[in-house]
Amino acid sequence: MFRSNNLTARIFERQILTPRPGTSINLFRHFYENVCPSHTVYDIDCPDLSFRKFTDDGQFLIGFSRNHQDLVVYRPSWLNYSCKGECPYSLDLPPKARRFDSFFRHLFTISLASANEFICKDFFLYVDPYRFGLFATSTAQVNDNVASADGAIHGVPSIEKITFHLVRLDDGVVLDEKAFYNDFVNLAHSTGAFLYDDLLCIVSLRYQTIHILQIRESGNLVEVRRIGPYCQEDDELFLQSHAQVSPGSSFLPGIKQRLLSFIFRKTWNEEADQSMRVQHLKKKFYFHFQDYVDLIIWKAQFLDRHHLLIKFGSVDGGVSRNTDQGLSFFAVYNMETTEVVTFYQNSSEEMYSFFERFYDFFNSVSRNTLHAQYISSHTNNSHALNQLLNIKSKSGSFSQFVKKMMMTIPYTCQSHSPSPYFDLSLFRYDDKLISAIDRHRHSTEHPIKFISLRQPNVVKFKIKPGVEGGGPDGGRAKKVSSFLFHPYLPLVLSIQQTYMQPTVVNLHFKR
Amino acid sequence: MGSLLGDWPSFDPHNFSQLRPADPTAQPSKLTPVTYHPIHNRTIPPPNQVITTESKNILLRQFYQKSEEQLRPKTKRAASESLMPEHSCKQPRGLNSDV
Repeated sequence: MFRSNNLTARIFERQILTPRPGTSINLFRHFYENVCPSHTVYDIDCPDLSFRKFTDDGQFLIGFSRNHQDLVVYRPSWLNYSCKGECPYSLDLPPKARRFDSFFRHLFTISLASANEFICKDFFLYVDPYRFGLFATSTAQVNDNVASADGAIHGVPSIEKITFHLVRLDDGVVLDEKAFYNDFVNLAHSTGAFLYDDLLCIVSLRYQTIHILQIRESGNLVEVRRIGPYCQEDDELFLQSHAQVSPGSSFLPGIKQRLLSFIFRKTWNEEADQSMRVQHLKKKFYFHFQDYVDLIIWKAQFLDRHHLLIKFGSVDGGVSRNTDQGLSFFAVYNMETTEVVTFYQNSSEEMYSFFERFYDFFNSVSRNTLHAQYISSHTNNSHALNQLLNIKSKSGSFSQFVKKMMMTIPYTCQSHSPSPYFDLSLFRYDDKLISAIDRHRHSTEHPIKFISLRQPNVVKFKIKPGVEGGGPDGGRAKKVSSFLFHPYLPLVLSIQQTYMQPTVVNLHFKR
Repeated sequence: MGSLLGDWPSFDPHNFSQLRPADPTAQPSKLTPVTYHPIHNRTIPPPNQVITTESKNILLRQFYQKSEEQLRPKTKRAASESLMPEHSCKQPRGLNSDV
């Protein structure tokens, strides 16, 4: 713990201080209390792009052209200027401080989408060790009159072509592509895909398959496994050569079979009395059999290299993004043994206790990625835990509260910004106005304050998202803001979009 | 050795030979610790023991543990068996119980 709040005193202390073992990074992150984005350049003159995010290692800023066809990548740098003679601190910044290219160097622009395709603006995954980016383009979505194909389920829309592009961000070379035809993958906010190290899982909702792909260092996307209709690699071959399937009947998909057999065994073993077992089975299992068979995969994530956490639910809720708190189920599936390890309902208290105690393990990344270790959650931070327990005690019904919390699982990969300004052990902020999760929020007129945790009366810095002076319409029109925080520099882009008006981009940085 | 470390024995009499007690009047004989060699083999690690990190993280371990509980057949004797667990952590002492 630093003894003083003063930056110079802390630097001297750092020279002589030995932190407790394993806590040196935690201690030095306190320097972010002294280095904050305190100055704002309003309405910076920047190209008309929709900026997506900074990559988690801070090397690139990703943006897309307005027509959703081009990818534009910048490298964040810092303003340099010199002045003659004495440079008093109060000196105004030079005019080039108002220029976008003083802070960002344009690296390349490439076209990802062809004529009738569009880049999905919400989808972006960064493959950290190789500095690759994964993007998605798709053709238009077809909702009604979806021609039913072999193996496709009803009730899910279809997209003619979805392509995933693997781009090397250093130079803009498209390394590999993987296309899905007449399929549907939930691309909004990267929910349909999960990246763990070099393994990528993509959930095809229409064909109820989980594709496991490996990203090789050479840039190839290699399909390793396909889980859904079949579980083992040779299941399809075995069934076709051995089973005589009479027309009209078909086997249940492989994953569904594993799931049902697990539920069967669990229900069978629940009843201690042998004579009552069949009755118990009828009530608990066979009565709901068709409901279990009708479940579809909604979302999946890796828990480690061999285990998947799969969320199952009804057909209606799979595609919609509404906050419906209906029934859903979680299953942990071991890809190597093809066994379902466990199965819980979304209202399960046991599952909630795992959520409360081990949430960090749902945000599963390999231990090699450093920045992800410091994302605040209620498991690693006592203030966040207090907030959660407050909500728990204030909620009327415990099971509704549990269902609401379970909506955040499976975790959406790379959805939290690793910026230390969101670290709850350093700063307090209103998380209805701004938070580590990159979502658009309704804009507010008042500046968003970041208050130091250790000095509760001191506002370390503010972010005022609006246009300087309030804007021409006096701030009455509805505005939506989004904030892009650089992972380690005191640099923030706040983007404000107003209906029927040009987008305003402000830059906040440390002078 | 006296002072904070008490009179605890050491495996090797040459240990702690560099230690100078704060009290200058301490007798030199006390600088050599009492030597002790264990005469039982209850604390020896098993041969070929390799200590590694568990590959499954704690969340997965919890899932597997709960799964084992769910899939273990429950018998009618479950009620009487539940009286036993509190004593299972205690193990009977060996014959050489005073070591």
